Amino acid sequence: MLFTIVTILVLAGTFLGLAAHRFWTTREEARSTILYAEIAKKFFAWFALRAIQMWRQASPKAWRARLLGLPLWRQPVLEKWLYAAFYGSFLYLAASGFFFGVFVPRGLFGYPLVAHVMAGGLFAVCLTIVVLFKGRNFIAVPKPASLSLALIDPRKMGITPARVKLWAFWIFAAAGFLLTLSAVLPMLPLLRTPGQRFMFEFHRYSAVLSALAAMVFAGLELFEAPRTPDA
Amino acid sequence: MSRAGRTSRRAGGAALAAVLALAAAAPAQTAAPAAPQNQKHVVWDGNRTLPAHFIPLRDENDELIVPTETGPLPYSARFTCGPCHDYAKIQGGWHFGAMTSSRNGRPGEPWLQVDPRTGTILPLSYRKWPGTFDPRAAGLTAWDFTMLFGRHMPGGGPAEPTDAEVEAEPDGRWSVSGRAEVNCLACHNRSGRQDHSEWAKQMLRENLRWAATAAGGVGEVGGMASRLKGTWDIYDGPNLDDHEWAVVPEVRYRTVDFDSKHRYFFDLNYQPADDRCLACHSVSPKDAAMWSADADVHSAAGLKCTDCHRNDLGHAIVRGYEGEAAETGNPAAASFTCRGCHLGEDAEGAKTVTPGRLGAPYPRHTGIPLVHFKRLACTVCHSGPKPKDGFTRVRTSRANRLGVYGVATWSTDTPAITEPVYKKDAADRISPHRLVWPAYWAVRSGRDLTPLEPATVEAAAGDLLKPEEHIAKVLIALTQVMGEDEMPVLVSGKFVFLPNVDGGIDAAARAGAQPDAPAFWGIRKGAEVLPLVPDFDPAAADKDPAIETRFQEFLQALGSVADRPGEPVIVVRKTLYRLVDGFLDVSELPAEPGPATGPGWLADGQFRALASDFDVRTVTAKAGTEQTLTEEQVTLVLGALAKGAAKGDPVYLSGGRLFRLDKGGRLDASADRAAEPVTWPLAHNVRPAQQSLGWGGCTDCHSGGSDFFFTKLKATGPMLTKNVATRSAASFMGLGGLFQRVFGLSFIVRPVFKVVLVICAIVAGSLLFLASLVALGRFAGFLEKR
Repeated sequence: MLFTIVTILVLAGTFLGLAAHRFWTTREEARSTILYAEIAKKFFAWFALRAIQMWRQASPKAWRARLLGLPLWRQPVLEKWLYAAFYGSFLYLAASGFFFGVFVPRGLFGYPLVAHVMAGGLFAVCLTIVVLFKGRNFIAVPKPASLSLALIDPRKMGITPARVKLWAFWIFAAAGFLLTLSAVLPMLPLLRTPGQRFMFEFHRYSAVLSALAAMVFAGLELFEAPRTPDA
Repeated sequence: MSRAGRTSRRAGGAALAAVLALAAAAPAQTAAPAAPQNQKHVVWDGNRTLPAHFIPLRDENDELIVPTETGPLPYSARFTCGPCHDYAKIQGGWHFGAMTSSRNGRPGEPWLQVDPRTGTILPLSYRKWPGTFDPRAAGLTAWDFTMLFGRHMPGGGPAEPTDAEVEAEPDGRWSVSGRAEVNCLACHNRSGRQDHSEWAKQMLRENLRWAATAAGGVGEVGGMASRLKGTWDIYDGPNLDDHEWAVVPEVRYRTVDFDSKHRYFFDLNYQPADDRCLACHSVSPKDAAMWSADADVHSAAGLKCTDCHRNDLGHAIVRGYEGEAAETGNPAAASFTCRGCHLGEDAEGAKTVTPGRLGAPYPRHTGIPLVHFKRLACTVCHSGPKPKDGFTRVRTSRANRLGVYGVATWSTDTPAITEPVYKKDAADRISPHRLVWPAYWAVRSGRDLTPLEPATVEAAAGDLLKPEEHIAKVLIALTQVMGEDEMPVLVSGKFVFLPNVDGGIDAAARAGAQPDAPAFWGIRKGAEVLPLVPDFDPAAADKDPAIETRFQEFLQALGSVADRPGEPVIVVRKTLYRLVDGFLDVSELPAEPGPATGPGWLADGQFRALASDFDVRTVTAKAGTEQTLTEEQVTLVLGALAKGAAKGDPVYLSGGRLFRLDKGGRLDASADRAAEPVTWPLAHNVRPAQQSLGWGGCTDCHSGGSDFFFTKLKATGPMLTKNVATRSAASFMGLGGLFQRVFGLSFIVRPVFKVVLVICAIVAGSLLFLASLVALGRFAGFLEKR
């Protein structure tokens, strides 16, 4: 029950946070007032309108077009299939894991479980390759820190969407590592029942963390403000 | 006090009791006067010793037993033990209170009414357990039930009916046999003289009131109530006219165990010893050697059955299953389940129980995924025989009449009980079960089946169910005129049929014989079988005169067969041999065409074989099998029942199928819920950890062809037919066989999968570690910007 609450709150909060970020960075009316209540009102009006628009535009054809429009397909062949397997396996893992974890009291079982295990193996391999060969592109290069109160001032931390995206990548990688670890350890003759129970919960919350990181990364990557030619 | 004096005192006592009862306006009558209860013994004083039980024995009239008197009555537990131990409370215990208890509890082993002749295996229970019939609904009175199962009952319950129940049961012989009170000694007697076999014999002799005295070694009991007239009463005394057959049961007490105050020394256990429990609760693989059987791991560790299966004076035995504590309102029961004792968990998995009782070890279960603890009972991996191809056939004390020793063989192979069948229990968890396939005749009305009593079926079937009996009669008659090294036999197909000491026939395989070889009556001499009637020319001048002498003997012997259909004759070619006024008469056959050479019956001028083709065909088909009915018999009996059935459609259930006659009179088989097997969870024997499932790895169960999931169970039943149900182990669990096979096959690549995952985890982890070091170094200024 706790997992269900945490999952729903985290996923819904992240989704709303990304939407709010998009609203703040792309809509002029967001800065037309300094009253939070007014901003919230405008946000929800925009959010509702956008949701209706997206609902009306949604169709298998539109989704297919959007899928084929992803930059993924323009990658070299190895990278293309690496990312396809990576994204695909993660999407299935998240969908099956959260659906059964939240809505099915028995949890994951049967063929979906077998597919989950197989997709988990694929995801672990892809993640390792991505971190090995692409991780260098996501190394953040912060300035050396000075010991001052600025260290704990969010406004002076230099939090930008680009940096959040980098952090999201590494958090996602770390969560993926924890997911792999918490999947493989119970398979080995190492853990007793309390250890198994801990790993089970650890796996679920690592999944929540990875989903959060993936949502942030994807939200910033896919829905970031379109750049104008002079920008 | 003399017997006459005691009788007059009884009469006076009864009158006084009646006056007191009226004066007190008692609302209810009990079966017998209530024993006074000494309240000071109810509460334990804290001392862990058991008092020496020097107890004055009292009979069922609450009179002191003086062992040296003539014709003392058997002791009564109600009045001997009752003064200190509340008898009425004990009567409500698990072993005695099934008829009156409102609590059914987890299903246990039902009583199985087995009647080989009619092919009946009917699961019975006074508790409302799935698949069982209430004995009352099956037409069994308390008397019938006691006669059927008294051999393994501890007294009380149906064996001790109230006065009202006795009066409502005119066919019962309670007034002759008395009632079998709760037999305290059956469990609590520490003496090696406690004899379960004696109990069984006394119960079958209808010596119900004497059984506890005899079985407990308190006294020696002779005589048989079953041979006494129904009008006999305990106060009638001995049968002076018959000292051989209808001898009245009588006790001769072991006077050496009495002291000078006529107090008997009971050598008792507070906690019954295991062998007292196992007398009625043994389960062993069929055909296993005794030396090869291992004890339960708890017994091997020094625990007694009653260390876990405890009870208070109410004898509500802790059965030790999860959920029992909530069901019974006895929270202590939670600590006597596997999980409670070893893990400290209650039925919901909460750590509310103190584990480690009596030194129970905490299991490590290293590497076992959690789902196993959610979906499986502990007993799946730890109890019963390990899964094997075709399951394990076992015999239980109560179903197969084990543990009754004597000249006669009491134990039986049928009913066929199978274990471990893994299926979901009431808590939706898979647990191992024992299984039996019911078989019975019934009348179907709509979807309801009403079982028919074996006697009803026999009455309708007439001779259809007695082919063995017909052949046995002839063979036993012929035995009278056989030489020392000779044995009359019937040879048919691949078998030789011989008479046995029980008045039946045994079948022995005949080496090299063809299955369709014609039947003949013969004489077995050593390994050789000769025809009873050799083929020769009766008209020949040089025929052996000894042959006709033997013919005369055979005909004399056959003349002693009861209910024979005609006059015994022997035909050789066209010559008829028969006895006329005790002398051999030789004449021409009266009818054409005549039969082949052989013995037979002459009835209404017609020659009939000694045993009909139907009889011979039937016994030959069943020879060498456990089955007692052929399809032909079932067809004919269903036809006979249809003619006499008052209401509904007669059916027969066997082997997981329901058989009925279609409109053309042919036997039609179908699956039916009523034909489904009856199961009950098993808990013992618990195997050592190294023999538990999973010790050898996941593939103990999860493999492409594991016996755990994929072994097949072919239904058994008394009917000889190929039309039986077959179930896979997975189907009992409610699991898809295909999925389990796919899942099992995945374990072939699991080692590789694990290696890949470990490598991935190491590489990804190392990279993450390095990245975090880089970030940390940059943050601290140790590393310059590239």
